[in-house]
Amino acid sequence: MSYEPLVRCDGVARTYGTGANAVVALHGATCEIWAGDHTAITGPSGSGKSTLLHLIAGLETPTAGAITWPALGARAALRPGPVALVLQGPSLLPPLDVTENVALPLVLGGVDGDDANERALRALERFDLTDLARKLPEELSGGQAQRVAIARALAQEPRLLLADEPTGQLDHATGAAVVDVLLAAAIELGAALVVSTHDPDVAARFDHVWLATDGRITVLLSPDAPSEGQPCSA
Amino acid sequence: MLGVTWIRGVIARRTGRLVATATGVAIAVALLASIGTFLAGSKATMTRRAVQNVPVDWQVEAQPGADPAAFLQTVATNTKVALPVDFAKTTGLQATTSGSTQTTGPGVIVGLPANYRTTFPGMIRDLAGARSGVLIAQQTAANLHVAPGDTITVGRAGASAFDVRVTGVVDLPKADSFFQKVGAPVGAQPQAPPDNVLFLPAAQWHERFDTLAASRPDQLTYQVHARITHALPGDPAAAYTQVTGGARNLEVKLAGTGLVGDNLGSTLGAARGDALYAQVLFLFLGLPGAVLAGLLTAAVAASGADRRRREQALLRTRGATTTTLVRLALLEAALVGGIGAIVGLATAAMVGATAFTTASFGATTATAVVWAGGAAIGGLVIAAWAIAVPAWRDARFLTVAGARRVVGRGRAPRWFRFGLDLALLAGSGLVFWLSSRNGYHLVLAPEGTPSISVSYWALFGPALLWVGAGLLAWRIAYLLLGARRFLALGVARPFSGLLANIVGATMSRQRRLLAGALALVALTTAFAASTAVFNTTYKAQAEVDARLSNGANVTVTQAPGGTAGPAAGTKIAAIPGVTAVEPVQHRYAYVGADLQDLFGVRTATIADATKLQDAYFQGGTARTLMHRLGQQSDAILVSAETVKDFQLRPGDTLRLRLQDAHTKQLKEVPFHYIGIATEFPTAPRDSFMLANATYVARATGSNAVGAFLVDTGSASPTAVAARIRAQVGTAATVTDITSSRRVIGSSLTAVDLSGLTRVELGFAVALAAAATGLVLALGFAERRRTFAIAIALGAKPRQLGGFVWSEAAFVTVGGLVAGAFIGWALAAMLVKVLTGVFDPPPAALAVPWIYLATVAGVAIAAVTMATITTIRRAQRAPVSVLRDL
Repeated sequence: MSYEPLVRCDGVARTYGTGANAVVALHGATCEIWAGDHTAITGPSGSGKSTLLHLIAGLETPTAGAITWPALGARAALRPGPVALVLQGPSLLPPLDVTENVALPLVLGGVDGDDANERALRALERFDLTDLARKLPEELSGGQAQRVAIARALAQEPRLLLADEPTGQLDHATGAAVVDVLLAAAIELGAALVVSTHDPDVAARFDHVWLATDGRITVLLSPDAPSEGQPCSA
Repeated sequence: MLGVTWIRGVIARRTGRLVATATGVAIAVALLASIGTFLAGSKATMTRRAVQNVPVDWQVEAQPGADPAAFLQTVATNTKVALPVDFAKTTGLQATTSGSTQTTGPGVIVGLPANYRTTFPGMIRDLAGARSGVLIAQQTAANLHVAPGDTITVGRAGASAFDVRVTGVVDLPKADSFFQKVGAPVGAQPQAPPDNVLFLPAAQWHERFDTLAASRPDQLTYQVHARITHALPGDPAAAYTQVTGGARNLEVKLAGTGLVGDNLGSTLGAARGDALYAQVLFLFLGLPGAVLAGLLTAAVAASGADRRRREQALLRTRGATTTTLVRLALLEAALVGGIGAIVGLATAAMVGATAFTTASFGATTATAVVWAGGAAIGGLVIAAWAIAVPAWRDARFLTVAGARRVVGRGRAPRWFRFGLDLALLAGSGLVFWLSSRNGYHLVLAPEGTPSISVSYWALFGPALLWVGAGLLAWRIAYLLLGARRFLALGVARPFSGLLANIVGATMSRQRRLLAGALALVALTTAFAASTAVFNTTYKAQAEVDARLSNGANVTVTQAPGGTAGPAAGTKIAAIPGVTAVEPVQHRYAYVGADLQDLFGVRTATIADATKLQDAYFQGGTARTLMHRLGQQSDAILVSAETVKDFQLRPGDTLRLRLQDAHTKQLKEVPFHYIGIATEFPTAPRDSFMLANATYVARATGSNAVGAFLVDTGSASPTAVAARIRAQVGTAATVTDITSSRRVIGSSLTAVDLSGLTRVELGFAVALAAAATGLVLALGFAERRRTFAIAIALGAKPRQLGGFVWSEAAFVTVGGLVAGAFIGWALAAMLVKVLTGVFDPPPAALAVPWIYLATVAGVAIAAVTMATITTIRRAQRAPVSVLRDL
């Protein structure tokens, strides 16, 4: 167990556009994510969930405040590497088959092609997706595609797994199964898991629940937080 | 209402794609309209040159019983200028020079008014002596061995002979038309003009021949030579109609007392045929460019197909019917086509004003409307084909699953499975074989007749080759893209390292898209290459033709009877600008009863002053035949006709009768036949012979030179010719290649293709840039989400570059290589099929390396820019891309 958090946000804010067109997607959020944390960020659409997730993933830079990854390293080394991200919506590369899609981040990280393929197949096996190994993304259902995307993230054996609305396009039962897999994999890997969701049932299954409202993040549930309903920065 | 909203949205939100597709349409419209503009300019040039080449527009011949004065009056009132010309037959001419007497057969004595030479300056050319007085034709002078100052006796039927003193020697460049049989059809015209011709001043002619008017009217002919107005329509066909109509009108006014020999009408008739042929040729050269612009527009439109399908799906969920969707697509196509047509026509007008000095799209108002309208309709059709047809197809036939399909495992297209490309290539070969076997070519230009016969269907050979080879390039690219190992190791590895297998897989799954892009680049390159090679070869051959006609950059032709030897060349060589001087002897020699030109050359140095093409000879190259001629002093090259007529075989002895310079008597000189010469600088286009100058000089006892061929290197031939003229005076005629270029060949070969070349090659460069850079950039732009996902997964710029560069390299290098092959094959076939245009036919294709390197450079630069921009933009904001798309 590291004595430093994986991620530390210190008054992080993100504004899109400038002047009269400026839209503040996220107001100064201060929070930490530690190894083994299972966190759900919940809230309505446009509340800033995805923005916070992208900032944590290092995909975006904050317009105010600072974000660091004390136990993970520099921003440039996060992906591919200790951070894996499951994107909202279709996120498989259309011209690659399922195995190649899963192996891609590994190859991008420098893993040899054959090794990457083996690891990809193992990840697919874990999700019972072996039958789909040679299918193209356009030949998959929405649920299958989402499971492949999660398999791709887990194949990297990340220390921080981020999933943006992983159940958003799935029916209730499939969504629940996907969350089962995510939680089980995070436990198995000892990885921190942060999921954004607007589904209260999904959020209820996580140890930590943050509520996003109009770009402000508050803690709804935390086993070690001072009290519920406090801002995330509290 | 929905339509207006839709169009507003397209303009506001899809500006880039709108501009790109409209640009494609504009290129096609501009190219088609430019061809119209070029044709308008070319046709006007053809008409102008046809008019310039005719020294006497009409030769109106009086019929027996006509009153000469009234006849002249009628012609004069219906034309701009009219002068009477009298012809009388002579029983023969005789001259005694240097103690020997020469006698000719029958001939013609022409009576010319004093102002004839200045009124019709192109009809008679001075060679030696005075410009007026008694002038003798060059060949007659040679037959009689007379020079200015000598006296000849003119025989008359029904009257006694009389003597005249020759004052000048002249040449008749248009002897065929001057001595035509007025009113006779083409086939009934005399085979050759009379051998013996003498010109007398009108007064002297009347003094000598008026007495025969009553006793032997059959010996006399009366003509009026006239010039009509040259304010003619630009189109040779329209000019022809006007001129021939005028001639018939005059005949009606003459009420049977005269017939019009319509020289201008005949020349315009030939130009009319040439213009029609030029129209086909230029359309043929330019049409692939317009088709390419159409394909390009379709490719640009197709690169947004996924987005359009999504938009269609959205509209459908909101209740839009298939008809509504198609109507919206038609509106968009009309907008794109309309903008493209307006921009294209404006561009063509500007190009025309700059390159062809005319902004009109046709030689007449009607043709201008047809060309402009046709080009605009072409643009609208392209827009409809590129935008509305795919939209209709998707709206009508696409399933939900089909709409989701981005890559697909679909089979190869139907044409691929049925081998359409191979069938087209086989068809091309067949048409080419059928049209070129037995020496048959597209253009037949039978000697002596002023018209050409064109077999348009032979153009199907190159057309089928272009389409078939483009599809074959698609097939080869498709097959190569199916070989993942080749892609991974051969294409992707240098750009993507460890990612090579994945990049190879990506390319392989998009093989229809990439094969299409490669075929487009190949066809564009082929268009640029074939057009450039054809045009360069055409230009080179026009130069060869001019050089062949003139002999060299500058040619100094000695007056008949001149005795200047090779040493006279030393003085010419000293003139500034002269880099080489080569004497060529000219003699007349009898082969049996046939009188032919014999040229004596110095085989070792002849090539210093002029260029000898392999096409001038048969049975060997110019170099080998000149070498063989030089090796054997009595060797001779003769025409193929002579070989056939006299059944000659290599090594056979050929006994010629040549005039001895001392005795002036013909003597038999043996030669040995070694090969065939079909063309030679300064030589006539029918039969002639080539032999060693030293042998001819020894055999005839004279080393007199007929002409000096002068090379001017980089100096201006016109300037050097002027200097030589100043030195030699009237002792010799000095001509330069610049003037020769203006009068060579038919009006078609005389058409300057450089304007069309500039325009077409400019369009080809633009198309090459668009086919590579624009199509790749738009293709990449459509895959922004894919790139954003790759970046979200952690792809570094170098790794992203691996994907982009591998595709760009495969499409560009493959397209350029395939295009170079197709372009070469197409140019070779075009030159073969259009052999009739070239006189002499080219020995090899002329390749404009600099232009081709420019095309390749532009294509590579466009691809590099598109690729770098794609990689940079992909990194800029992956999250917003993922959100927006």
